[in-house]
Amino acid sequence: VNWGCHGGCLTCSDSNGCLSCKPRFFFFLERSGMRQVGVCLSSCPSGYYGTRSRSPDINKCTKCGLSNCDSCFNRNFCMRCKAGFYLLQGKCQETCPEGLVPSDTQRECVLDCSA
Amino acid sequence: AARCAAPCRCDGDGGADCSGRGLGAVPTGLSAFTYYLDLSMNNITELPANVFKNLTYLEELRLAGNDLMSIHPEALSGLHQLKVLMLQNNQLKMVPSAALRNLHALQSLRLDANHITEVPENSFEGLQQLRHLWLDDNNLAEVPVEPLSHLANLQALTLALNRITSVPDHAFANLSSLVVLHLHNNRIREIGKNSFSGLDNLETLDLNFNNLVTFPEAIEALPKLKELGFHSNGIAVIPERAFLRNTLLRTIHLYDNPLSTVGTTAFQNLSELHSLILRGASKMETFPSLTGTVNLESLTLTGTKISAIPASLCEELRLLRTLDLSYNKIKELPRFQGCFHLEEINLQHNRIQQIRGDTFQGLASLHILDLSKNEIKSIDKGAFSSLVALTSLDLSVNALTSVPTTGLRALHQLRLSANLDLKGTLEPRSLPKLRTISVPYAYQCCAFAGCDTIMSSSGDSERKMDTSSKGAGEEVAGERIHLAVHCLPSPGAFKPCEFLLGSWMIRLTVWFICLV
Repeated sequence: VNWGCHGGCLTCSDSNGCLSCKPRFFFFLERSGMRQVGVCLSSCPSGYYGTRSRSPDINKCTKCGLSNCDSCFNRNFCMRCKAGFYLLQGKCQETCPEGLVPSDTQRECVLDCSA
Repeated sequence: AARCAAPCRCDGDGGADCSGRGLGAVPTGLSAFTYYLDLSMNNITELPANVFKNLTYLEELRLAGNDLMSIHPEALSGLHQLKVLMLQNNQLKMVPSAALRNLHALQSLRLDANHITEVPENSFEGLQQLRHLWLDDNNLAEVPVEPLSHLANLQALTLALNRITSVPDHAFANLSSLVVLHLHNNRIREIGKNSFSGLDNLETLDLNFNNLVTFPEAIEALPKLKELGFHSNGIAVIPERAFLRNTLLRTIHLYDNPLSTVGTTAFQNLSELHSLILRGASKMETFPSLTGTVNLESLTLTGTKISAIPASLCEELRLLRTLDLSYNKIKELPRFQGCFHLEEINLQHNRIQQIRGDTFQGLASLHILDLSKNEIKSIDKGAFSSLVALTSLDLSVNALTSVPTTGLRALHQLRLSANLDLKGTLEPRSLPKLRTISVPYAYQCCAFAGCDTIMSSSGDSERKMDTSSKGAGEEVAGERIHLAVHCLPSPGAFKPCEFLLGSWMIRLTVWFICLV
């Protein structure tokens, strides 16, 4: 299978996809069956966040450090939790503190309007 | 089936993926119920007015990786429920403030990896719900103080990878909900004493890779700070009580600074701190007080003028697991007894002259002990007796004449090289698990070099080092020991195991040569 040189790719190989990315794109190793293929993205997939650095000039997708987090801003700050967990100040919790109630649609602890 | 625009793939649940299809414009014909639209990685150069006006249910719009240089003020009108807008990796030179004005539900706005040099004052006025803002990897020369002041609900902000040179006082005064602030990879030389005032909930502050030459005392205003980074700057001094008001700190990254002086009280009362790494504070003479920093598990303090370790170290740091005090001027060692969890001690390259019997007493978890490159002349017989888990011991480059082996039954690796006065041989039986050993002289390897060693209970056939393990009564009569121990320097033709003139053949040859 020729994975070819798509989108943000700078160098690539037939079998491994992207080997390096154009400036400002995030490098990510995508699993494809038993194989791992390099891709270059403008935003990282679910469960990962993009780290930009200039020394050296490598932008890459890094795994969120928080369990139960679907989308994070950095290692320790979540923006959207997995189903069954509720976001509060960047953390995913199973329950909400007093005065807040869990919202399953937003997956967040929200103000208790009935109170 | 729900309508879908020709080049896109729709999941029938309101999601439309039109990414990477070489599109030059926003496709038409999308379902009005689309809530997720991915147009990233195309060649879209402009967004005309009202281009999304039918998509009133849209919550996430991805336009990353296109060629947008500007956005028409009415391009995003009608998107009342939009929560996530991704504009990174485009060609914007200015924040499209007019286009953003009515996105009252917006929570996440990505503007990173553009060419933004200007942030109009009213840029974020309408975005009361905004929580996450990316402005990193642009060309900002200063912190956009006024535009940010509208964002009372902002929780995470990155201004990293710009050309910011200073942070003025009260720069983030209204951002009381901010939890994460990234300012790394800028050119920040100055931070005002009140630069961080108002950031009552900030937990993460990243100032790495800047040009700071003085310690950022503005962190005093950050009572909730947990993670602080200012590595790779030009800071020489960490003042006394540096983190007095940051008692929740868990990690402090300060390596790659030309540190010379560290205040003795700088790291007190940091009960959440688990690891402290201080390298190369060359003028530091006093061991820092770690009173109240009781949960430290790893302490690295190297390259200083410190000559003594406080006796109370292990009374305060009971959870310590790794201790690296190499490359200092330490002469005397305290008792490490209270540090039960210690697994690794590195005291390499100091001025230690003796090891007392109680120095390492009680350290049953210690695996690695490096005492190399000191001036150790004597080690008490019982010094290692309780180190039952020790697997690696480095005593090389010292002034030893003997080595006690009591208690070293778990040892895998022993380094004794460059102890020129250490001439006796060791007894393999006291080191049953040994796999590698380095000794000052080749003949000392003979005891280990794979030769079968017959030990009779009456005594040994070789000269014995003054090893105190005999007393332990572990002798086994007539045992044949075959040890696969890698020993250096290994004996050879000119470094035989026997006494050079012990063999008649060699003696006759020498006489013959002398006579001739």
